[in-house]
Amino acid sequence: MSKLLNSIAGWGVNIAIAMTALRTNLMRSILTTLGVMIGVFSVILAVAVGNGAQVSVTQQIATLGSNMAIVVPQPDSGSGPPRSTDRGRLTERDGRAILRQVSGVSAVAPQIRSSVQLVTPGRSATTQATGATPEYGIVSNVTASEGRFLTDGDVGAAARVVVIGQTVADKLFADANPVGETVRINRVPFKVIGLLESKGSNLGNDNDDQIVVPITTLRQRLQTTAMQGPDDVTLLFVGFEDEDSLLAGQQDIKRMLRDRYRVPKGRISPFTVRTTTEIAETTGQVTQIFQAVLVAIASISLLVGGIGIMNIMLVSVTERTREIGLRMALGAKRSDIRNQFLVEAAVLCVIGGAIGLTLAVLAAAVFQQVADFPAPVGLDTALMSVAFSAIIGILFGGYPAIRASRLSPIEALRSE
Amino acid sequence: MTAPLLETHDLVKDYVIGGEVLHAVNGVSLSIKRGEFVAIMGASGSGKSTFMNMIGCLDVPTSGTLLLDGIDTKTLDSDALAEIRNRKIGFVFQQFNLLARTSALDNVAVPLIYAGLGYTERRERAQAKLEAMGLGNRLQNTPAKLSGGQQQRVAIARALVTDPLMLLADEPTGALDTQTSLDIMGIFQKLNDEGITLIVVTHEPDIAEYAERRIVFRDGRVIEDAAVKSRRRAVAG
Repeated sequence: MSKLLNSIAGWGVNIAIAMTALRTNLMRSILTTLGVMIGVFSVILAVAVGNGAQVSVTQQIATLGSNMAIVVPQPDSGSGPPRSTDRGRLTERDGRAILRQVSGVSAVAPQIRSSVQLVTPGRSATTQATGATPEYGIVSNVTASEGRFLTDGDVGAAARVVVIGQTVADKLFADANPVGETVRINRVPFKVIGLLESKGSNLGNDNDDQIVVPITTLRQRLQTTAMQGPDDVTLLFVGFEDEDSLLAGQQDIKRMLRDRYRVPKGRISPFTVRTTTEIAETTGQVTQIFQAVLVAIASISLLVGGIGIMNIMLVSVTERTREIGLRMALGAKRSDIRNQFLVEAAVLCVIGGAIGLTLAVLAAAVFQQVADFPAPVGLDTALMSVAFSAIIGILFGGYPAIRASRLSPIEALRSE
Repeated sequence: MTAPLLETHDLVKDYVIGGEVLHAVNGVSLSIKRGEFVAIMGASGSGKSTFMNMIGCLDVPTSGTLLLDGIDTKTLDSDALAEIRNRKIGFVFQQFNLLARTSALDNVAVPLIYAGLGYTERRERAQAKLEAMGLGNRLQNTPAKLSGGQQQRVAIARALVTDPLMLLADEPTGALDTQTSLDIMGIFQKLNDEGITLIVVTHEPDIAEYAERRIVFRDGRVIEDAAVKSRRRAVAG
């Protein structure tokens, strides 16, 4: 017990010696600390931004809806750049067939996407219009926060009604309630029947900058690009009851579509069926790589900071060789000398690490405010940074410290 | 009859310089009893400092035996040698070798850090030694604020703080004026009277006359080893 207390007191002495030595060369100590500070700062910020990106992507995927497959009439981008001849067709009939024949499917939402211009007296906006059916609301989790969403009646009658997103509403109606107002879409007057519930924005992608109209209305009134047939669609959202049926259904849909369009064996399928699970995985991997690259680049600055520590500790050992000799003459063991310089390096690193951590937390908070992007600095990140700086200190302070401890007492004492 | 404090048998220290072997110390056998006051003399290059460094356990002999307080130093590792330097030997250097920007009190307390003593005990013992050296009112002064004589007295207090068996002083008066040198020798004589063994390396014959035994080195060998006739007494300041 007293041995433990003594060893703690011993470290206390070393810290006191280190502080004296560091104060003696204050400017040099500050500059060296700065290197570690910048390193720790950039690593923590990189981790925080990476974490933020992952949070953001997860939110983005959640807004798509879960247990859903997206079917588009073009080959998987994994099989090379798409050629126009590879493009397939997709129709509402296909959607109905999927609903009937693939097990576990709860709803199919056919959609046509088109870019449109909206005009109200004195204002205008360009946005993406989705021609959809009421199933769109079910499958991708879209509801109206005010007014109402599309009904089968709207679709059947090809009614000129529109449900608009919050961003579009802000542009066209400012603070006024848009429900019941009239808006001209590509010069055709539409009645606003509802406001889409806000889904916020992720990674600069505004989920509220869109409008939804009945698929039939879009086809008759707003379509700008020619389709091959009267009930062709841009894509299908296929909602599944659960994740298991989604995984099985993905293959069923591919097989079924190949049969329906009589795609010969060996030719690549002109359809892509992607599931929200896959999308989540892929984007998760992408953001992980993004984070790894960020942290790797930031680590270089930490490495440079560590080399700075080693450099200055080597200088310090050389300058104080006589002091080392004296301390040895007065009874310092090799381990005492080694610990003295290790502690000195560690003190530099820990001070740098603490300042770097503080600045990183502040910077992350500012970033969050200014860029509207989550950059959480968790307790784990903070602990990691402390461990990081300590490791840097031991790693880069270790060599000079061991060199100091190996000096011969008499040669050290004789040096000028 | 107790064993001598220090005994050497055919002690040799070689240095290789530019491919040639230099016998800095070339077969020295002598013994120093407890309580002796010995002056080691010789011109520069005579081997007296090398001998001093070996008996101070700062340097290891090339061959031969060194018994310190009955212990053969050949058998000791660097940690054990450090402990001997800490507990049994007090060093006094020509250039005082005090830590700059460090108070007299903290300077004197340094050996006690390595002896593993706690903060309070370190301070108390360091203060007592400084007071014994007449520096009770200079505890917080840094070396820059002390005269040469005061600095050397701080160094002597530091050498004494672990209550060692012997004091090794390498040209302790080399950087001091005549009067201050006398003061320091007076302190040494007083300490010797109190029972501590003193070994002083010097090239000044006057200084050697304060010791009771004089050993003269030349070319790595002892050429004279005799009691000092007409020993001088200094009045301790």
